[in-house]
Amino acid sequence: MTLDQLDLLLSQVQKPARYTAGEMGAVVKTLTPGMLRYAFCFPDLYEVGMSHLGMKILYGHANRRDDVWCERVFSPDADMQTAMEEMGVPLFALESLDPVKDFDLIGFTLQYEMCYTEVLNLLNLAGLAIRAKDRTDPFPLVVVGGPCASNPEPLADFIDLVSLGEGEEVSDELFDLCIQAKKEGWDKPEVLRRAAQIPGIYVPSLYDVTYNEDGTICTITPREGAPAVVSKRVITDLDSVYYPENFIVPFLDIVHDRAVVELFRGCNRGCRFCQAGFLYRPIREKSFETVAKDAKNLIESTGYDEIGLSSLSTSDYCGLEPLLDSLLDWTEEKHVNLSLPSLRIDNFSESLMEKVTRVRKSGLTFAPEAGTQRLRDVINKNITEQNVTDTCRTAFLGGYTAVKLYFMMGLPTETLDDIKGIADLAQKVVDLYYSMPERPKGKSVSVNISVACFVPKPYTPFEFEPQDSMEALREKQKYLLSCVRSRKISVSYHDSATSVAEAALARGDRRLCQVVEGAFLRGSRLDGWDDHFKPLAWQEAFEEAGLDPDFYARRRRSYDEVFPWDHLDYGVTKAFFIREHQKAMQAATTPSCFAGCNGCGAQRLTGGVCKCI
Amino acid sequence: MYIKTVRIFFSKSGRAIYISHLDLMRAMTRAFSRSGLPVWYTQGFHPHLYITFALPLSLGTTGLCESMDVRLLEEVSDEEIISRLNAALPEGVQAVSAGEPVMAPKEIMWADYHVHLRCVVSEGRQALERFVALEEIPTQKRSKKGMKTVDIKPMLKILSVEEQSDGLMLKLRCRAGVEINLNPTLALDALTEITGFKSDWTTIERFAILNEALENFK
Repeated sequence: MTLDQLDLLLSQVQKPARYTAGEMGAVVKTLTPGMLRYAFCFPDLYEVGMSHLGMKILYGHANRRDDVWCERVFSPDADMQTAMEEMGVPLFALESLDPVKDFDLIGFTLQYEMCYTEVLNLLNLAGLAIRAKDRTDPFPLVVVGGPCASNPEPLADFIDLVSLGEGEEVSDELFDLCIQAKKEGWDKPEVLRRAAQIPGIYVPSLYDVTYNEDGTICTITPREGAPAVVSKRVITDLDSVYYPENFIVPFLDIVHDRAVVELFRGCNRGCRFCQAGFLYRPIREKSFETVAKDAKNLIESTGYDEIGLSSLSTSDYCGLEPLLDSLLDWTEEKHVNLSLPSLRIDNFSESLMEKVTRVRKSGLTFAPEAGTQRLRDVINKNITEQNVTDTCRTAFLGGYTAVKLYFMMGLPTETLDDIKGIADLAQKVVDLYYSMPERPKGKSVSVNISVACFVPKPYTPFEFEPQDSMEALREKQKYLLSCVRSRKISVSYHDSATSVAEAALARGDRRLCQVVEGAFLRGSRLDGWDDHFKPLAWQEAFEEAGLDPDFYARRRRSYDEVFPWDHLDYGVTKAFFIREHQKAMQAATTPSCFAGCNGCGAQRLTGGVCKCI
Repeated sequence: MYIKTVRIFFSKSGRAIYISHLDLMRAMTRAFSRSGLPVWYTQGFHPHLYITFALPLSLGTTGLCESMDVRLLEEVSDEEIISRLNAALPEGVQAVSAGEPVMAPKEIMWADYHVHLRCVVSEGRQALERFVALEEIPTQKRSKKGMKTVDIKPMLKILSVEEQSDGLMLKLRCRAGVEINLNPTLALDALTEITGFKSDWTTIERFAILNEALENFK
């Protein structure tokens, strides 16, 4: 596409800067013969995709090679898609404006299940066949990665390859394979066959799946030399792995508009509902020096005025306080803010609070996740009511008057007592505030309860559990509201209409491909956005495919059932999940990895024990 | 303490015309931060870069004589300001000159635009002739209190109309400044409204900003 054509498109749309690129840090290369062209697609709007750290890392990582040019692709919003379709402009990559269908490799990062129809939409906008078998040329090759690649079966018919685990570890091998394939003119079956030999690359079309009469999976059988089990790739040493010294700095105000440094990957906690906590194991930290260096590099190169520290549980980072001290030394002088997400209730110390306060005094957010001790033990949150009140006391003494508490609803074994417990806990926080003579003078307290619907995910101890019904969840929401008596407490919840589809897709098999396609053909795209989600389209797509969403979402699964993702190995073993599930049913907790190894199995992949300090 | 205001003129073209004014302010703040120039930050609870723009530019319009003021804490030569800033600016935004401000932004009265209308020449000419002959051009203009009708005739001068192979090139002079400001797009909308003429494609470039005496804003 020429800039002139782009001008014509952009004159018709809102927020044209989503589609123009030209930001500082965007990589523009001169094409050379044999250069591999890689379109990295985030199947959501620019503002969402540009906030994603993984994309920044993999973009820089690919572009450090002279023989690869990685460009970005985001979803056009509805107005842009209409304008493109009217003008017959196919999906293009931002940096070169070249059509995506002319690229060699098309990568999609799957961050959440509700992006699946958007993957199909983007393939279709690119002018490509959405089914992999109808794309007979070897290139472009469609590869997916990200957390939802851990069960890619509902997309199995549309994609060529799946990259399991950490992209920095496997990308180069995949690029080399593609470059060789192009040079030697391999056909598509050969490319797929050879790709399946790369550790961490899963080729869905090389596996046959058979089903039992009850609809569960009977066997998953590899063909043509593909491995019976594909294990995810893992970076062993986070201090030596590539990390960008530069981010693309967008013009638009994106969701997370700041420099981000990583503290560690994995999580030591083992909360039983949390897929990320298990998928990214084993826990590996970056040294304090590496993080400090990354932060300084990024601020200098981007000009950002904020640094975010990224991990699953910031306050569990071993060297957090010394790191904060060293960052605060220069950030204050340079007018740079620090943001500290994911703080835990049980280790929020007074000195940590002082540092947070030096950074920015807004509200504090904590996640008790469940209202009663029994249920917190079931989910292995490992925090007590005492932890909650102690932390809030610390915060109030520090001058805070607003606290936000995150909870989930629809957790396994949950009863109305647990729902009432949410309101009771919030009330205790309010009462605590007024019982403190040292509370901030003349100010009222506000406790905000935010409640999300629990969706059981694969690779967690709750992968065996049925999802709560929508009716039950609505009843519980009503009941929670009736339990709240104080005007200091506000309740917000996501009445998640998408959660049934999300639950079905999360633990779905490849028969769901027909449902995803059916929903797409009925106009579904960007399903994660309330104003786009079409519940009826999904319902009809399930009916047309003769499949029942409840079979996937609301069925209790036995320990010996073959799961659609059983041939994909993310380290933590099914035996561990069964053990954890049994403990959950007895409300027995499992301590943090830091207290001793619980034998989850993740360490197998790095050939040793977890590297935690 | 050394504090000196410096006015920097820059151009905004190519892909950068799609950076909105609000986004441009953010982009400039970051560019100054990357440049390492010793710029002054406000001293409040949330310090931010002190930066003011003389006359915001509409989204989608090219600007050749845009200007912004910042305060410097150390003596830096004009050439160095330009070179350090240009090394930190995104594609399409380029610093052109720097120096001590001569005029106050409130002195701005007019802005000149090149308007390229891609159209059938005769149709464009006809429509413009009708438009120019009007005594009054009542136009719906958005104000803080909602839509109101204003006569834009006194705010607008067509300086020249030149024929080109693919249409017409106009030179428009529009009232500009804090009090009264006419966006050329609004004038073109009025042209369409009144005459029914619509170009296939329009590009607009602001090439001069003037005071009452028609001197370039400095």
